[in-house]
Amino acid sequence: MNADTAPLAHVVDDDEAIRDALSWLFRTRKLPSATWSSAEEFMAAWKPEWRGCVVMDIRMRGMSGLDCAELLRRNGSRLPIIFITGHGDVPMAVTALKRGAFDFIEKPFDDNALVDVVSSALEEDARLTLQRATREDTTARLDQLTGREREVMVLILAGKFNKVIADELNISMRTVEVHRARVFEKMGVRSAVELAQQLTVAGLYNSVAPAEE
Amino acid sequence: MLRRRLRPRPFAIAPAWYWRLPSLTLALMLVIIVALVWMTRHFDDETQRETLINDVLWMEQDLRFRLDRNEEQLSQIGRALLVGGDISAQTNARLAQLLKPDSGLVQILWLAPDGQVLDGRPYATDDVLVGEARGAIPSSETSRLARAVGRGVYGPTYPVLGNNWRFNVHVPIFVDSQHAGTVVGVYSLQQLVVRELPWWFSERYRVSVHDPDGNEIASKSKVEAQASHQQYTIPFDPPGYGLTLNVTAYKAPTRWVPVLLISAMVFFGGVIVWSLWQLRQHTMGRQAAELALRGEMSFRRAMEDSLLTGLRARDMNGRVTYVNPAFCRMIGYSAAELLGITPPMPYWDPSEMERTLAIHNRILAGEAPREGVEVRFRHKDGHAIDTLIFEAPLIDASGEQTGWMGSFLDITVQKRAETMARQQEERLQATSRLITMGEMASTLAHELNQPLAAISSYGSGCLNRLEEDAPNPSELRDIITRITRQARRAGAIIRRVHDFVRRSEPKCINIDLNAVIADAIGLIEPDAHKRGMDIDAVIFSRPLPVSADPVMLEQVAVNLIRNGMDAMREVRDRPRVIRVETFGDGEMATFRVTDHGQGIDAGAAQLIFDPFFTTKDEGMGMGLNICRSIAELHRGRLGFEPNPEGGTIFTFSLPYAS
Repeated sequence: MNADTAPLAHVVDDDEAIRDALSWLFRTRKLPSATWSSAEEFMAAWKPEWRGCVVMDIRMRGMSGLDCAELLRRNGSRLPIIFITGHGDVPMAVTALKRGAFDFIEKPFDDNALVDVVSSALEEDARLTLQRATREDTTARLDQLTGREREVMVLILAGKFNKVIADELNISMRTVEVHRARVFEKMGVRSAVELAQQLTVAGLYNSVAPAEE
Repeated sequence: MLRRRLRPRPFAIAPAWYWRLPSLTLALMLVIIVALVWMTRHFDDETQRETLINDVLWMEQDLRFRLDRNEEQLSQIGRALLVGGDISAQTNARLAQLLKPDSGLVQILWLAPDGQVLDGRPYATDDVLVGEARGAIPSSETSRLARAVGRGVYGPTYPVLGNNWRFNVHVPIFVDSQHAGTVVGVYSLQQLVVRELPWWFSERYRVSVHDPDGNEIASKSKVEAQASHQQYTIPFDPPGYGLTLNVTAYKAPTRWVPVLLISAMVFFGGVIVWSLWQLRQHTMGRQAAELALRGEMSFRRAMEDSLLTGLRARDMNGRVTYVNPAFCRMIGYSAAELLGITPPMPYWDPSEMERTLAIHNRILAGEAPREGVEVRFRHKDGHAIDTLIFEAPLIDASGEQTGWMGSFLDITVQKRAETMARQQEERLQATSRLITMGEMASTLAHELNQPLAAISSYGSGCLNRLEEDAPNPSELRDIITRITRQARRAGAIIRRVHDFVRRSEPKCINIDLNAVIADAIGLIEPDAHKRGMDIDAVIFSRPLPVSADPVMLEQVAVNLIRNGMDAMREVRDRPRVIRVETFGDGEMATFRVTDHGQGIDAGAAQLIFDPFFTTKDEGMGMGLNICRSIAELHRGRLGFEPNPEGGTIFTFSLPYAS
């Protein structure tokens, strides 16, 4: 992993002491972090491939935290955002949550609780990143399957035996076995269980194998 | 004034016959009078005519009778004249007797059977000798006719000298059926007609004889009677021959009494007509004046009724003598309920009775303020009305003052608007104060949060490090230094707030506490009245000099009074009065606010001065807290105790100015 794709907790706050204190706190919990003194500075540096999460004060001089989150979302960022709110900002934070923010922490906060939230945000981001990668890979593999192979795959995922599949598709057992081997090869798996796992991780299982009645 | 309320009796326009009837009656009466007069005259004429006819008939009879008697006499005397030869003395006497003027005969002749005149008496007269009558006298024609018929025959008339007309009567004389001759009597028409009529007849009538051609040949009088007047004509026979006897009545002498009576009647009738006409003119004038007056009256009434200003008149004793509809509308009582009543009036506000009575007495004493006086009344349905009253003396036509005229302007709406505006402003100020405070608190919280959050995070990090096996002391020292810096930062923020608070410290001046409290009462009194509460102010008789910020003191007083009013909001069973007193002892000047509200329970008493403690829905809970702060700023005391009569007593004391 290079510097741009390493997961980081991006701390955006206009108060230097807060930035410094949070980065120290994250350091003591072994969480890598980066600090930004304003939303503008953060947005100028931001790249789409960045991973990790954003810890941001709602009230800042210049661009506010909410505006920054909106801008990020529009630019296609999927970074989870944790808002830090001061006194009286709770309604704003709730609005932000509804718009897709990961969480909000009210000042004064329990520091280790904040770190836990940040950790889970980082994990979430990692999970989502993996899922996105798996989905892209799986989708590419699915695209290589022929129509007959896809039909066979669906029936395999339904847990049916080769003989039953042969009967349903009105083809010979031998042909079913050939198709099965092809599917496993193309999807890069060794068993039906692996196939199901892969599709589940990619979040495609339901779209490929509709639940039977 | 009461009579002005009475509607004038509807004035019926007199119908046409109202005026025509007397005129008509009068005209009828005049017609009847004229008819009566005419009838009387007509009746008179009739009577006169009847008399005339009677008289004429009598005259005719009389004439005939005389002529017949003369003929008889002539017949008797003729025998003596013609047969005896000589005329005896007796015969002469009889002739003389016959020729007397009243017989109408002027001459008697006797003729022989052959027509020869034997003799006559008087034998000849001058008038016989002249004129054409000679041949006819005695007319042989007539003589012959008389001898033939054997009785007297009258001959035609003939004129003689002196515009006289005569006629003859021939009487044949038979002796033993032998014609012995004829006696001729010569009549003078004039004599017969003129001399023979009695005096009363000729006085009444003009008698004339006319020949067949209508010429008058003899008349009783030369005086002409009026032709149109009553007259009567009968044939004059004998002698006949177309003679007529014409009797004309002289105009009767005017009978003055009836004329005068009738004239008087007509005159007085005229007077009646004239006076009626005059009366009518007069009445019409009056009617016109009345109409004008009524128009003026209704205009004034309409003016009074349509006025929006209430009008009320009172006599010198304060008795209501007149009210206009606007006034009735204003206070909800009818005019009938108001007229005649004396103070206290039912529409006076019970809670301001004394003040209203004082104003009333001042007005009656003639001290009505020229710029008007504001008085609160109570409408019949209970709501309050603020009015502005202008009173002016009521001067009657003789220049004497009979009472007072008051005009009333309803200023309730304006007053309410004023009150609303004032409250609005107060609320606005309170709100802005609140907003300012809120913002300040919010800013303060945010600013304090920053260093505190930083300190917390540094601290948590340090703890995390210390839980590790090998903490790095230099690293921790660095962090702790930062913590200290942030703590100092927080301290600086707190100090800044303190500085800000210190800037609003009181601006003390030497002032009389009495004046401040009086001002405060003046500020809040309208509100109290609006809420139906009274402020009973008992101001200390001597000045109470204190060194204080008047605005702050005023704020404390207003706050305490308003709290008292809020406490009495639900009170219904006792007078809602707040007593505000100022007094001083040897050390402190004090003002005390006593309400009769619900009082303060033990739980609330503990918390009453705490910030944000409130028993009111819309309260901030800052009032008493600020009051106590102000008391402390002025080195004074704010305390409270329960009111033995119910409610609470707040006491605010502060030292005298040095």
